[in-house]
Amino acid sequence: MVVLKSARNLYVIVTAIVAVSLLAVGLTEGLVSGTEEGGRFTGYVQRFPVAPVCCIVGAVGVIWLGWYWLKLVATITSIAKRLKTVDIMDSRFRGNDKRKASGNAVIDELSKALNEALVRYSNVIGELQKQINDLQIQVQLTQRQKANIESIIYSIHDALVVVDEFDRLLMANEVAGRLFNFNFKQSQHKRIAELMDEGEGNSEFVDFLRQSRQSKAQPTRREIEFVEDEKLKTFDCIVSCIYDESGQVCGIVGVLHDITRQKQIQQMKNDFVSHVCHELKTPLASISAYTEMLSDGEARDGKTRKEFYSVIQRQAERLNGLIENTLNISRIESGLIKVDKEPVSLTILIEEQLQMIKSYAEEKNIAFKDIGQSRVVFDQVYADKDMISQVIVNLLSNAVKYTPSGGSIKVEIEVDESADVARLSVADTGVGIPESEIEHVFDKFYRVAENKNQAKGTGLGLNLVKQIVEKVHNGRVFVTSKAGVGSTFGFELPLATREVVESLPAISRGQV
Amino acid sequence: MSRKKVLVVDDEVHIVHVVAIKLRNNDYEVISAENGAEAFELACSEKPDIIVTDFQMPVMTGLELVEKIRQCDAIKDVPVIMLTARSFAIEQQQQEDLQISQCLSKPFSPKELLENIEDILYHRAVVNSRV
Repeated sequence: MVVLKSARNLYVIVTAIVAVSLLAVGLTEGLVSGTEEGGRFTGYVQRFPVAPVCCIVGAVGVIWLGWYWLKLVATITSIAKRLKTVDIMDSRFRGNDKRKASGNAVIDELSKALNEALVRYSNVIGELQKQINDLQIQVQLTQRQKANIESIIYSIHDALVVVDEFDRLLMANEVAGRLFNFNFKQSQHKRIAELMDEGEGNSEFVDFLRQSRQSKAQPTRREIEFVEDEKLKTFDCIVSCIYDESGQVCGIVGVLHDITRQKQIQQMKNDFVSHVCHELKTPLASISAYTEMLSDGEARDGKTRKEFYSVIQRQAERLNGLIENTLNISRIESGLIKVDKEPVSLTILIEEQLQMIKSYAEEKNIAFKDIGQSRVVFDQVYADKDMISQVIVNLLSNAVKYTPSGGSIKVEIEVDESADVARLSVADTGVGIPESEIEHVFDKFYRVAENKNQAKGTGLGLNLVKQIVEKVHNGRVFVTSKAGVGSTFGFELPLATREVVESLPAISRGQV
Repeated sequence: MSRKKVLVVDDEVHIVHVVAIKLRNNDYEVISAENGAEAFELACSEKPDIIVTDFQMPVMTGLELVEKIRQCDAIKDVPVIMLTARSFAIEQQQQEDLQISQCLSKPFSPKELLENIEDILYHRAVVNSRV
């Protein structure tokens, strides 16, 4: 700036000197010419004074050029000032440069400043471009994160619904869409109450969302029943408010977890406790009553007393059996049961257990058919004898229990050498099982509703069969049934290899 | 005075047996059934003075038996004692509606059962004599 000011001052001085000089010369020339004509100025008319006029015109021209130059310098100075205000000018323009500025020097400096400014602008543009690229990368990352979050949400087995502060749908996964019967893409930003039909639980859920939003409650939960695929299901609904920066509720997240199965299990457990209590109390009632009768002297002769003692003993055994059954299932499930496997003949086991169940069947006038006719040459399985005996007893006693008087039971053993298994089946002419309930008969605590009145039970017997066969012996249980016609229950166990059997002592192979 | 007739209903034969011995030792006549359906037929034909029945039985439960008895004019006033292994199986209101005289929880005392039977029959006799 100092350079520009110096250049301007220099030009003012030079222009003034030149202009004054030219003016002086012109005036001097004019006066001299007029005086030469007798002291009057008549000479001006007759003789035009070319030189003075030229000097004066020259002076005026110089003054004009000087003014024009000054104006140009002022304009450049203004531009330089503007550049300085945006901090583009080089520091040399601000220093004490003693160099006298000329027009070329100023333009040169200005050019440099402009070039540097352009370089700076170019750098700034480069920076901005880099920031734009970064932002684009951020956008891509954010979009990918959003897609990941959506994938996670969509893959959750729980139904998830997000609504805004006006109860308009912001997000929902497929499970929620299936439950509430709407398509998320077509339903976004619609009020959730309008999306749901009048189905069981829907209005209760919408009310629950609204109440949670209004009360600004922390996560709250409620069990609500919905109808899905024409089945009544129970969901544990957990609702949480979404807060904005000012602490206002700006939305609600609802997660609905299907607890139908847990509820069924809970109900089965409750039923189990009830059944077990009843089953425990029944022999206990007999023991208690007979003991009291004995102590009160109501058994008046030796025969009656002996009979009473016998009843007490049998009921105590029954009580013990029930407790053992319950504990065995628990032990198998926890993997704590001791398993003592050896080659055993299914035919021999069947005959042993039939002797035990025979009197019970005779009481109900039920006949066993084809026993012994299906005996096979090699039917040895590698199994825990006591456990498989328990399995057979459970299947036989169930058959007797659910077969009306006059019915029959058929026991068969097959050996499938191609599959390397022995198969035992117990077919009865009993009440049968409805088709819809067959898949549950091996479930723990499960009892067929239609048959509950036919006989007492805890729902543990068949579960114990399944646990022993499948979990302990790697076998397979099976059932076929038709309501009102009868049922066939059975199991398959891997055959013991002949080499193993033949290497054992004869007594272990059932040959005495 | 004729012996009082008691109908004992339970699918547990040992329970029926011990109750029968207790009652016979105390000069009662005992008839028995294994389920509600059989008991209803027997009650209609034998018209017992009192019925002692188990709550949970196959074919027809104790409650179903009592409901059926209350609908049958010939035996609708017969007092009933219910034996149950389930403590909360019968609600108070249900007990009153079905006019179940007493509920005894298993395990029960035969002596206590006998005392209840005697009380109920005594009060019934008093009421009948006033009428």
